[in-house]
Amino acid sequence: MIFEKILSLSKKEQKVTANMREHIKLLCNACDLFRTAMEKDNRDLMRDVIDLEREGDSIRRDIISLIYEGAFLPYLRPDLCRFVEIVDNVFDVLGDTANSYLDGKIPEQIKSECIRIAYFNLKICEMLLITFEAMLKGEDLREKTLAIRIYEKKIDDIKFSLIKDIRKIPISNFWEGKILSEFISGLATISDIIESASDHLQIINVIMK
Amino acid sequence: MKVQEVMTTKIEFVDADRTVYDAVEKMVDRRIRSLMVRFPVKGLNHGIITARDIVFKVLAKGLDPKDIKVSEIASKPAICVDKNANINEVASLMENKKVARILVCDGEEIIGVIALLDLMAGTLIMRARGEHDF
Repeated sequence: MIFEKILSLSKKEQKVTANMREHIKLLCNACDLFRTAMEKDNRDLMRDVIDLEREGDSIRRDIISLIYEGAFLPYLRPDLCRFVEIVDNVFDVLGDTANSYLDGKIPEQIKSECIRIAYFNLKICEMLLITFEAMLKGEDLREKTLAIRIYEKKIDDIKFSLIKDIRKIPISNFWEGKILSEFISGLATISDIIESASDHLQIINVIMK
Repeated sequence: MKVQEVMTTKIEFVDADRTVYDAVEKMVDRRIRSLMVRFPVKGLNHGIITARDIVFKVLAKGLDPKDIKVSEIASKPAICVDKNANINEVASLMENKKVARILVCDGEEIIGVIALLDLMAGTLIMRARGEHDF
């Protein structure tokens, strides 16, 4: 496969792909931590999610620097950077959602559905890692991206019923409502961005061939 | 893969003494194809009414859905599996019992429903993960 040939040329490319793998694995850890924090209602664990977001930022900077120091052929660099930026966007949304969780209180009526979305966010993230590994091997990504779309659809279904449910919850002031709205919006947006990331992997895979 | 990973947790209910027309209304409003039927007995005594039941047992026979109670056409008792059951067990159960939907239970509590489409989604996810125990 062309990707493997490119990788065999230089250590720089191998360093970049190792960092990209690390970046996605860190995102999986952050999603797992987020879910556990929600399940156990552990605010300290939720603060750790925000720390992982900063760690993700640092890995993103390293990857972009390495790419522009000369890793990969110039025509590949923008798409690789774009993919890394999309993954970093997931970290940002996850961090903001963790902040909303810490700022507010999630009503008991919707807690189990929110935990279910957090669980699917972890699963979709793991699938992104599998898709990335498959791309490095030059494999067909069709089945992997379909699995990501299936998870995304499941999260969308839960989101729509959550939106209906929250209308029945009494809100005492503007900020309480705003924080809850931002929390749900963030929680349900993560899978959309991961879906975009997987679409971008598909584009990179096509460019490689 | 366990059923709880792919089941649908949003379950809509209809009381057994309501008319089939009420059930149709609810299905159209919520854009769903089945409803759990709640009988006035506590415990796991639930049934299922599907769009298929309504079409073949009522509408296609020219019967008035406002004259027929949900309890008359619902499948009862609904089949239930444990939340930790494997999706291949559920597929076999669906094939043997000739049903397209099965309830998912945690002890005596109904926590979800798994349909054919959920099984298909679960199988595709397993293929993508490289797991082939289905």
